[in-house]
Amino acid sequence: MFDTLIAGLLRGNVYALGAVGISLVFGVMNVVNFAQFSFFGLGAMLAWLFVAELGWPFWLALPLVLVICGGLGLLINIAVVRPLAKFLPLAAMLSTYAVSQILDNASQIAFTAEFRAFPKVLPTSNFHIGTMRFGTSDLVMLGITAVVMGAMAAFLKYGKTGQAIRATAQDQEAALQMGIPVSLVQHIAFVIASALGGLAGVFIALYVGVANPTSGLNVGMTAFVAATLGGLGSLGGAVIGGFVLGILEAFGIHFFGDSAREIIVFFVLILVLILRPGGFLGKVPLLSTEPLTGTFLGKGRPFTIPRWAWIAAAVVGGILIPVFGDNYLLTTGTQVLIYAVIAAGFTVTAGQAGVLALGQAGPIAIGAYTSALITINLGIPFWVAVPLSGISAAVLTSVLASPIWGVKGHYISIATLGIGTAIVAIIRLVLPQGIYGIPMPSWGDTLLATPVAYYLIDFVALVVTLWVMLRIRRSHLGKVISSVGSDEVAALASGVRVRDYKALAFAISAFFAGIGGSLLAHQYTYIDPTIFTMLMSLLVVTIVIMGGVGLPPGAVIGSVILIGAMELLRFTPELRIVVYGLVLILVVRFRPGGVLVRNA
Amino acid sequence: MTRPYTDSTTTTKDTTMTSPKFTKRRLAALVLAAGLTVGLGACSTANASGGGSATDPVYFGVSAAITGQYAQYGEQFKKAFDLAAEEINAAGGINGRPVALKYEDSQSDPKQSVAVAQKFVGDKSVVLVFGDYSSAASIPASPLYTSGKLLQYGFNNSNPAFTEKGTDYQWSTSITTNATYTWLADYVKSKGVKSVGVTYLNTADWGIPAFKAFKDEADKVGLTITDAEGVLDTSDDYRPSLTKAVAGQPEAFVHVGYGPDAAKLVTQLRAIGYKGTFFGGQDEKSFDGTPDAEGSIIGAQFIETSSTPAVAAFVKAFKAKYPNEAHVTSFEAGAYDALHVAVAAAKLGGATRDGVLKGFQQVKDVPSIVYGKISFDTSTRRVASPQLTPTILTGGKWVEYKG
Repeated sequence: MFDTLIAGLLRGNVYALGAVGISLVFGVMNVVNFAQFSFFGLGAMLAWLFVAELGWPFWLALPLVLVICGGLGLLINIAVVRPLAKFLPLAAMLSTYAVSQILDNASQIAFTAEFRAFPKVLPTSNFHIGTMRFGTSDLVMLGITAVVMGAMAAFLKYGKTGQAIRATAQDQEAALQMGIPVSLVQHIAFVIASALGGLAGVFIALYVGVANPTSGLNVGMTAFVAATLGGLGSLGGAVIGGFVLGILEAFGIHFFGDSAREIIVFFVLILVLILRPGGFLGKVPLLSTEPLTGTFLGKGRPFTIPRWAWIAAAVVGGILIPVFGDNYLLTTGTQVLIYAVIAAGFTVTAGQAGVLALGQAGPIAIGAYTSALITINLGIPFWVAVPLSGISAAVLTSVLASPIWGVKGHYISIATLGIGTAIVAIIRLVLPQGIYGIPMPSWGDTLLATPVAYYLIDFVALVVTLWVMLRIRRSHLGKVISSVGSDEVAALASGVRVRDYKALAFAISAFFAGIGGSLLAHQYTYIDPTIFTMLMSLLVVTIVIMGGVGLPPGAVIGSVILIGAMELLRFTPELRIVVYGLVLILVVRFRPGGVLVRNA
Repeated sequence: MTRPYTDSTTTTKDTTMTSPKFTKRRLAALVLAAGLTVGLGACSTANASGGGSATDPVYFGVSAAITGQYAQYGEQFKKAFDLAAEEINAAGGINGRPVALKYEDSQSDPKQSVAVAQKFVGDKSVVLVFGDYSSAASIPASPLYTSGKLLQYGFNNSNPAFTEKGTDYQWSTSITTNATYTWLADYVKSKGVKSVGVTYLNTADWGIPAFKAFKDEADKVGLTITDAEGVLDTSDDYRPSLTKAVAGQPEAFVHVGYGPDAAKLVTQLRAIGYKGTFFGGQDEKSFDGTPDAEGSIIGAQFIETSSTPAVAAFVKAFKAKYPNEAHVTSFEAGAYDALHVAVAAAKLGGATRDGVLKGFQQVKDVPSIVYGKISFDTSTRRVASPQLTPTILTGGKWVEYKG
């Protein structure tokens, strides 16, 4: 038991460092900073470069990593985050995601994707308590964390800048009126957070033994959860969240195995959020709309799409492409269409109900698995399986998500992230083997397995989805859901049962996610849990943000741009992701509300 | 702070107040969308012409991860392919026609590997495609290759299902995981080890079937597994799993997995004070360079330090072309072999899609770095009776182990 506790402490140490950085930036800027995740991997690789390649002493390398990461953080804040965060946190969040893509891939080009063995800087197993061995290295890491945390706490409590950071976190506008240079404070917070990210990265490398440019992603995700557990914006909470999560994870893995890790993390998260909706030390947001989308909705008006544009789109998508397109265009088209179905269905949750759910891979996976299992085992035809998969995804996701609707503000996004991740983790636990030989669609005896057949099936699915979604928007129900997203308090005061409508919107989105999953499964004919990743969830979110968060047609355009661009950029394989990130940033920069939303 | 809210449902009559400026922007948005669609089409038709005269290159496609999580392997494959292509062309190519490779990045993501597959199927100049890396990317692309009658050579796909569930168009020269881990259980037992602690990658396409094969064989030969822990390669901290796995004080430790995760595991295994022999890992830089990995034993198909002339010549040529590469691993050797097999098949059956398939069904005794000689078992579309050699990591190098 004792050795598991030590393992948990060491792991919690890294989470705590990461979580403090995330919480700090969130506190002063109200932005979830995905770029923070990249600093873990970058810190580890820089440390490897300095120590292993250049042979510099560790004590020189460590501060240098902090300086480089801090400097990069400042640059990112000036160039990308701050200009957008001022008026559109949602756009800022999307661009931090783009920045993290660029950073990861630039780092991959610089360092290559290889895992590198990290040199042993300090002994790792020279002490023992009972049978558990640990080393100077571990003690030094814990010691550095303690010193850094102590210094941070003192700085925030007594330092002038520290007090300014706290004031900004409490109330940005009031702080500005009191003469606090808010923009400078935000820069400082960003620098500190990035440097802490780098430090955590170095610790990961020291502790794990090998590192590559993307090795921070999972730790980053868990650190993010730790920050939420503690209460976003609360630094003490972040430290507690980090250690609590580290220790619980260690014991969870001990009893249930490593595959249960994600389930444990998110189970703890959801439990804490239900019991304490603001986290351990965070304040419960009393009157809060979903801050990300809430801010956004008032900022611009969507374009009204004229009749001729609909007709033109239908002609191009439904006639010209299937008749004249070659198979490559059609196959790429199927992916665009399926993601458009998923994203268009998602607009009611993300845009209208104002819940930026981050775990759509969950219902997509449920749809795919349902469809695969019932067609293979029960012989149910494809055409029946597709709608059944949608229903199954809607029902199962609703049941799993039912406890979270009391959670408010940002926390609900993170809770949905938890639900999505937990669904995939449960599938991995129950059905770890992939499913092979999922039947292709057929009509009578005709096998509809050509690219053009898949394209047309998906096209019809999209037309139906758009029709349903637009009907919902125009209906009374749709307006009620919109009222929830735009002003939760007013809706509540008018007698709208806010929780129920959020749950309903989520179920509708899960239905279409399930349909999309089913279509994917029958096209791939093979599925396994590695297909339904966090990146898949993020792609769905980016698609709706790109198009205009509440607009079903916007989801189609977002899907064309985001999936099409990945194919269009094939001319530059190495730089593909970097250019992709740049395109994303540019679009967000000039159309922060989405392609189909005119600027305010 | 309250915010003014407008939603399009409340402004459906907005058209009446549209000014020319808005129309322009709206047009711009549509043009952007249309442009992308047309652009996609243009890209896809660029390579549609096919055939090939006597001096045109023979094209092989490569669907692999050039960016993303699995990019490490894409890089290794590319280096070996490029070296092999250079040598083959210097020796006259395929009946005078040079060999050329077309790379497409799939990130080993099925969403992209199917698009890549369709792109290759549509590109009539491509006569065979290598890849993809993972099962999750390879198997979803298989139906497309089959219907396009284009041979999909998953030279790296150790998952038996790739060929078992595939058709005549799926071939592989990778030894299956089942064969590898059945061998390992026998070998560990033959060394007089009575009990082992095990970690295995809890992945559908690789780790789970591999562990099952290991366990079945261990049960058969009487090797006790004190505890087996499923782990994920994306995790960084395995100490909780490891403390549990060695709690029963097994004599040795087996990891069913790859190099990077084995490097993390062996480092942490030693950090918690376990001293038994570590069976596992891979001949891969991240693992070889890990100080704690010293003394690890694996069953290898390819040993860099082998004295076999063909292997020595390959290693020498590889290091001459890539002087920064300290080690050559089975990944590079596998890719190098794969191009030679493909070329041999094309020479035999003809440099067309049909010809290559015919060539694969007939080709025999292709000289190989990994196997010595490669002949296919045409019923499994895998290499007939592959052999493994026990090797030990000594001084950061794998050498044949005779202990």
